[in-house]
Amino acid sequence: MRNRLIEAFEAKQLEGKNIPEFRPGDTVRVAVKIKEGNKERIQNFEGVVIAIKGTGAGKTFTVRKIGANNIGVERIFPLYSESIAGIEVVRKGKVRRAKLYYLRGKTGKKARIKERRD
Amino acid sequence: MEFIVEKIGMSRTVGVPSVPVTLLKIVPAKVCEIKDENEKRALVAYAHGKKINKPIEGMQKKYGLSKEFNRFAELKVANSEAGDLDVTPLNEAKKVKITFKSKGRGFAGVMKRHGFAGGPGGHGSRFHRAPGSIGNCEWPGRVMPGRKMPGHYGNKNITVNAEVLEFDPDMGVLVIKGSVPGSNGSLGKVRIVK
Repeated sequence: MRNRLIEAFEAKQLEGKNIPEFRPGDTVRVAVKIKEGNKERIQNFEGVVIAIKGTGAGKTFTVRKIGANNIGVERIFPLYSESIAGIEVVRKGKVRRAKLYYLRGKTGKKARIKERRD
Repeated sequence: MEFIVEKIGMSRTVGVPSVPVTLLKIVPAKVCEIKDENEKRALVAYAHGKKINKPIEGMQKKYGLSKEFNRFAELKVANSEAGDLDVTPLNEAKKVKITFKSKGRGFAGVMKRHGFAGGPGGHGSRFHRAPGSIGNCEWPGRVMPGRKMPGHYGNKNITVNAEVLEFDPDMGVLVIKGSVPGSNGSLGKVRIVK
């Protein structure tokens, strides 16, 4: 159990944050704020959530996508970070693990995830 | 101004960039007696644990304290007379000095205690975590004073400078940027610098 004062401090920061529910195996589109000089733009990163880690304000999730030239790209995002403009769940996946690190060794058809319908 | 605090633990902020923070709880305290009017030093009572004995009972009787106030300290306070400790100076505090007793490591070797590099673990090496040579030869025939050696490490007061990010007077929680020595739940002292 975590300390209630730490929880209160974190709850105050996370107030008003609207984050959609997603699980490992889901495909999400994360809108990331990127600062270039003094201009700010939003870049999307779409891929499969392969892990959700941590608790409270330090909670993170890992998104894996197959980039150009079939190179796997993984990014770890802090779930509540202010640099994330929004998260959109594109597809729900049916998996039997909490951590999908086995996807790293698989490519193409073997790396497919069944769709979850519920 | 000085305050007794309890280290609660660490967290972080969600802003960009995210800042690591330590939460300190201001221990509720009662000013018993102002000892020095000019410097505002006062005898302060606070509650910690259940320890009670005849001298503590005597103090409680003298200052009309309730049973749980069993510890006493001399602090610089903002109060001008006896009563609850005034925590309002913390609202404007920006920089503080924080004193805590560091975690005790017992009898520690030279790598943990002084950051010596040590030797390789394998490949036939017979030099692992030992301190190595500690001096010269027949001349001077002694070890120079101040030589870093194994010994007791930790469990002593350490003071650090820290920045205050926030103070919540309702909960009595002080939010400090960065880390603070000592284990969670231990008591320390906060002194306002600016």
